[in-house]
Amino acid sequence: MYRYDEFDHRFVRERVAEFRDQVSRRLTGALTEDEFRPLRLMNGLYLQLHAYMLRVAIPYGTLEARQMRMLAEIAERWDRGYGHFTTRQNIQFNWPKLRDVPEILEALASVEMHAIQTSGNCIRNVTADPLAGVGPDEIEDPRITAEVVRQWSSLHPEFVFLGRKFKIAVTATEEDRAALAVHDIALQIVRSEAGETGYRVLVGGGLGRTPMLARELRAFLPKRDLLPYLEAALRVYNLHGRRDNKFKARIKILVHELGIEEYRRQVEEEFARIEHGHIAVPADELARIGAYFAPPALPERTGTPVEFERMKKLDPAFAAWAAQNTHPHRVPGHVAATISLKPVGGVPGDATAEQMRVMADLAEAHSADELRVTKEQNVILPHVALADLYKVYRGLVAIGLDAPNRGLVTDIVACPGLDYCALATARSIPVAQAISNRFADPARQREIGPLAIKISGCINACGHHHIAHIGILGLDKAGVESYQITLGGESTAPAALGERTGPGFSYDEVPDVVEKIVETYLKLRETPRESFLQTYRRVGMEPFKEVLYAEAH
Amino acid sequence: MAKQFKPVVLTANDLIEGDSVFLGPRGWVREVAGARVAMTEAEAEGLTARGREAEAGNLVVGCYLVEVSLEGGAPEPLLRRERIRASGVPTITYGPAEVRERAAA
Repeated sequence: MYRYDEFDHRFVRERVAEFRDQVSRRLTGALTEDEFRPLRLMNGLYLQLHAYMLRVAIPYGTLEARQMRMLAEIAERWDRGYGHFTTRQNIQFNWPKLRDVPEILEALASVEMHAIQTSGNCIRNVTADPLAGVGPDEIEDPRITAEVVRQWSSLHPEFVFLGRKFKIAVTATEEDRAALAVHDIALQIVRSEAGETGYRVLVGGGLGRTPMLARELRAFLPKRDLLPYLEAALRVYNLHGRRDNKFKARIKILVHELGIEEYRRQVEEEFARIEHGHIAVPADELARIGAYFAPPALPERTGTPVEFERMKKLDPAFAAWAAQNTHPHRVPGHVAATISLKPVGGVPGDATAEQMRVMADLAEAHSADELRVTKEQNVILPHVALADLYKVYRGLVAIGLDAPNRGLVTDIVACPGLDYCALATARSIPVAQAISNRFADPARQREIGPLAIKISGCINACGHHHIAHIGILGLDKAGVESYQITLGGESTAPAALGERTGPGFSYDEVPDVVEKIVETYLKLRETPRESFLQTYRRVGMEPFKEVLYAEAH
Repeated sequence: MAKQFKPVVLTANDLIEGDSVFLGPRGWVREVAGARVAMTEAEAEGLTARGREAEAGNLVVGCYLVEVSLEGGAPEPLLRRERIRASGVPTITYGPAEVRERAAA
């Protein structure tokens, strides 16, 4: 886990002091709202439907126990006792008071956290595979690259006022758990045929009102060229960047309009011109950062622990949870365990201060002090010994976070929607709750198998509905909430954008609509092992459309 | 054809708290039911002018007019978004209360 050096500490503390002064000048009226708004946004502070909202960066989704405890303390001292984990691996507090925000930022700084660049037209918090350092097939820990990019992009003088926000994700495995294809730039750590480690670079992906899948910009970029190449890619975008129309300002539109070949030509030209030596990370600095991500010393354990097997037999709910919510670990005798923040009928991604503290305690005791936040709005304990898994499970039962539903129909992603968000056009959370309650039976969830439902409460797509197997987009039609359904979206390679079924449905109809889609899939699948997505890709939209619109037409 | 004027109230966010406030007869109130209603364009302009003063005085931010119905005797926003906003809270139970509610069910 990366630790701030003296420079980092000073940088973040100076930033807190600066914002404290800005808030104080705002409260006395020395700064007008027009002057203050961009300053607060640079510090992650939005004004939402009911209150201010503070978005805190969780770099590459990694937290230590002490940091999770601090989030709990902030939730209790300055908010309403809970926080909301987002699809970008961050956390949002929904009710801070303006005068308290400097104190909150001070508290965050004390545990090496901040809210810088969680808003605004800059390079946002860098995301990464939440199972970094866990998977047996990983080439190297992607967080080393993510941290390098984070440092390079923090207050980068050329890129703090881009045409639009800019999102970068990093992975290092064949399986994509970071939705690379929908990022402005994505870095996949790969090995060349010669055995050299480098990056496959993708560009121009994004969701929102014009969803697009990223294109390959470079099949292989040597590691030493990372920052010069990013600098070139961003510079070309920034110089072209349209500031006259925010809907056309994302890099995806530029790449689409120029064509990937022309954009690549310009990037390569700029890359050739750049003085690499001034920008590339010095080897000793890379080694310093890399050392922070050395794998924790986990004792190798051969065979399956007797206690683990015994408890699985004695407690079927534990067996179901262990089967569904764990992931293989590179160290024998260990797993990564997903803490689902999707209890049946709950608010997706929300955790109370108490739940955060228990998660922190479990991480400290049983997961090498680490937690990860996922883009599915769950939390992972990345390094749990099988022998400790039952203790972890019991800890989660005590706080109601034992849902055995990772990747199943009730593991629903939802943005805050019209219950919180000033931009939203429809509610997301109660729709997620209604669907979750409809499919509450764990046996039925397992019978249905892998199924990603994602809900956005407006066209900006924070709920990632375009890359859901069943996507739900809430809109406002003449004052009435209307929900468009898309099918067949997928975030992992081969990524796909969902296809619209047809006209939207009313708020009350959505659970029935989802149920019809699911029942149709169950009838159509060739074997119980054929997933919803596989069936959809085999049979296409028509059978689903027929069922959904048969009665209406 | 000119759009028919609908009654409006003036809303904003409190500068410090960030919550929704409405201009009432004697200052800013938290309840939309206590808001002063403009029944004509001229009255609406009057509310907007008061809002600008309050913004300049650093009491509130982001003033705008909200169309309301008076059918229930007190102003109630016509749009769902504004009704949710005026309620001051989400339409769902949230935070620790939500967890307790589910545990009790």
